[in-house]
Amino acid sequence: MATDRPLVLPGETIDPSLIPSHPKHPLRLGPGLRHIPPSDIVPTVAGQLITNPVKNSMWVEYNSQRYIPSVGDIVLAQILRSTTDFYLCTLSQHTAPATLPHLAFESATKKTRPNLAPGQLVYARVTLANKHMDPEVECVSAATGKAEGLGPITGPGCAFDVSLGFARRLLMARSAEDGGVGVLEMLGGEEGGGLAESARTVVVVGRALQETDRAGLGMEGQRRLVKKLVREMR
Amino acid sequence: MTATSAPEAALGVLPRADGSAKYSHAGYTVTASVNGPIEAQRRDEHAYEAHVDVIVRPAAGVGGTRERHLESILQSSLSQIILVKNFPRSLIQIVLQVEDSPENDYVNTKLVQASLNFAIMPALMQTAVLALLSAGVPMRATATATAVTIAQQDGAKRITVDPTPRDIETARSVHVLAFTSHDELLLAESEGDFTVKEWDDVYETAKAICCRSAPAKEGVAMVLDDEDASGPDMRQFLRSAAGAKVAADLHWK
Repeated sequence: MATDRPLVLPGETIDPSLIPSHPKHPLRLGPGLRHIPPSDIVPTVAGQLITNPVKNSMWVEYNSQRYIPSVGDIVLAQILRSTTDFYLCTLSQHTAPATLPHLAFESATKKTRPNLAPGQLVYARVTLANKHMDPEVECVSAATGKAEGLGPITGPGCAFDVSLGFARRLLMARSAEDGGVGVLEMLGGEEGGGLAESARTVVVVGRALQETDRAGLGMEGQRRLVKKLVREMR
Repeated sequence: MTATSAPEAALGVLPRADGSAKYSHAGYTVTASVNGPIEAQRRDEHAYEAHVDVIVRPAAGVGGTRERHLESILQSSLSQIILVKNFPRSLIQIVLQVEDSPENDYVNTKLVQASLNFAIMPALMQTAVLALLSAGVPMRATATATAVTIAQQDGAKRITVDPTPRDIETARSVHVLAFTSHDELLLAESEGDFTVKEWDDVYETAKAICCRSAPAKEGVAMVLDDEDASGPDMRQFLRSAAGAKVAADLHWK
């Protein structure tokens, strides 16, 4: 494991043998890497260097707390207030607000625009992330004009802060197998068919996720945590 | 704690901060938190780069001119290694809380306010770099720092690395040097009387501690540790501290 995912620190030189080369695809650099022309590739953060020879890409896998927007990311944004043409919403605390145009919703026109109150959560995609400008998000796919799962979040719930690495693990298609997060399935499996939909359940699920993230629990630790939380809830 | 003790560090000790580190070495213990990039106040805002805000808090009392001086030195050094151009109009805040500093056994100190001195600089610098690594703030390089004193003893001059308060009291000059991971001199502050030749010696000594090239294999490192008694290998220490954090974060892989 140590050989195929070497530890890199900012400014270290990457062994040229680790850089994938592909006859057709251009080399793609992911987060945590910086290209210094003409040919230097230098890590900017501490993490594991991961390479994908098939896609001819490489990036540094690391965990952090502060979200830095990048185009194409799916994020949970909280509405701050509305202006004439767009909503201002926060992606992370103490950073400049992102803009969400009133017309960036499915089938929104100048007459029928969604009415979102401050504090409302929206599931959105980052469309503009530029270091010199405030980020911009949208709740509609520009290509199809469909929401594709994005939009205001309705129903009971709460937002819980977790680290970015943990959020990425949760977003994996098979988070239990690939990401090692089994809390949700375990909580769902208790009582043989899911927990009742109540404010209490929301808090228990949120706490279970936060605790798993903070303590870096493995599968066994998560099982113990779920047992404890369910026992407390009864 | 003796001056020769090995450095110790823990990353991510504060759950609410974006990044944090606790570091202790040569009797000093410092905890740092890093937040950023966050929105800067209007007066700190810079159109093309991030403002690096360093705050040094002493173990007791409130900071004074001495702390402001340390802050300004650290601020200019750290903005060199952080990629500040990546985050225009934003702020990267680094708070350094001194928790413990070595006591001078020869002087009976009435502790009203823990006064900071020059020799704490390497500890502050190292803690800040570790906290920045923990926060995942993009950096150009990492940095290692050390303090060196020159004392006149029995007509011969003696160079001490990681001095104790007693060493500093008896020393003719105190030097603090920091190097980036590209072996470039990042910070050189000196206090006292010294010649150019002496400074060159200090430079070589500090460079040997901060810029020892990493051994190829771990087995070799063990052998080197026994033979080499010239001081701690700061770069190897930094790497192992960061490696432990990365391994803990990516344990699920």
